[in-house]
Amino acid sequence: MIFDKKEKPMIAYTIERCQSCNNEVKRKFKEGDCLFTATSECAKCKATMSIAKIFGQSTE
Amino acid sequence: MNFTELFATDNLFGEDTSNPLMWLVWIVPIIIFMFYGQRIQLQITSSEIAKNIEKLKKYKEDSKTELVNYLQKNLKVANDVSKKIDVFLEYFAIMPVDIDPNGIIPKIKHLLRSKENYTRLQVKSLSSTMNHLEQSKVQNMLEVVTALNMLHKIVRHLYLTAKKQNNFPLILPLQMMMPFIMEQSTALRDAISALKLGQPIGDGIGPMVVGKMMLNAQKKTIALETVCGQTEFEQRQLYLLKAEGPAATVGRPGDAVEILVAEKPPNIIIMVDAALKMEGEDSGSVAQGFGAAIGGIGTDRFQIEEIATKNGIPIYALVIKQSVKEAITLMTKEIADKADEVESRIHQIILENTTPGQTVLVVGVGNTLGVPQ
Repeated sequence: MIFDKKEKPMIAYTIERCQSCNNEVKRKFKEGDCLFTATSECAKCKATMSIAKIFGQSTE
Repeated sequence: MNFTELFATDNLFGEDTSNPLMWLVWIVPIIIFMFYGQRIQLQITSSEIAKNIEKLKKYKEDSKTELVNYLQKNLKVANDVSKKIDVFLEYFAIMPVDIDPNGIIPKIKHLLRSKENYTRLQVKSLSSTMNHLEQSKVQNMLEVVTALNMLHKIVRHLYLTAKKQNNFPLILPLQMMMPFIMEQSTALRDAISALKLGQPIGDGIGPMVVGKMMLNAQKKTIALETVCGQTEFEQRQLYLLKAEGPAATVGRPGDAVEILVAEKPPNIIIMVDAALKMEGEDSGSVAQGFGAAIGGIGTDRFQIEEIATKNGIPIYALVIKQSVKEAITLMTKEIADKADEVESRIHQIILENTTPGQTVLVVGVGNTLGVPQ
């Protein structure tokens, strides 16, 4: 149809946030990622980072 | 006969009306359209609908195949599972008689609970190794396939009836509804991937906000697949309620509110939910209002409204606007980014409407897939 728009595919991302210095790291979603779970060590302050957001963003 | 003269533009469209060919050029189409106009229109419209029916069939089959593959690969379910799924797809519920609507809500609730419990048991019986999270995911995927199957069947029925009876007026409402049906079907098809991976969906924004608020709180299961946490904010006692994540469930907020209010009636209830946006509205915009913000067939809303009215508890609603597609597929950035704003709006409502020492019940409504607490 005339008004049909091609939708851009969505890519899932995970945002890890440091609980002490609020440093945020954005990376692609990995299977098994779950909100609020502890993940890695913060590169800045060595505190534990946890998953703050999981969302989809369309490719530009 | 001089054909050059006959087909000359002056003769065809000029002032000479005696040309028989010119008569034909005008009269024949008028006669054709008088007698066959509707049929021609029916053909054009129906070919467009037929294409969409094919799409719907493909969506249904693709999502069913994905479900079967998921069951076989991840949960090691036997190969004949496809037949069992075909049986699930045809399950139906006969709504209670509504000629006398008095007392119909408990009947609907009973009916839907029976169906839900039966489906849950049937899904569980597919594999002995299936845990609660997997079971909820499969149950949701099954609902998606069932919805697609139903849409395909209804559209096909209306289309074939109109074709069979050459009934053009019957196909018009279908033609008008088709874009909405296709939007919903595309959303359902896209929902499967988020369900398989256990990613939060747009509808999960309410549980996501409340889940974050109850991270360090004491928690207990209060109703089926529903969790309650207790914490404090600015000398107010907060009861936080949401479905038990990260499973793909909406829990039983109606029952949970009833139990909590019976234990200790709160001074206010705040409900946080996703709401359908109107065209032109921004995705992820937050709106505040009054009343029980909860979707579904209406049984939970009825229950909450009833309890609130009996106890004179005001209900405040916070909704995060989104489209049908956004609500059932992977949560978009625009929606996820609003979580902090929603939390501060909850705090603002609490401070504006309660005094220290009072109790507040905050309910995060929606599917809590991928959102623990």
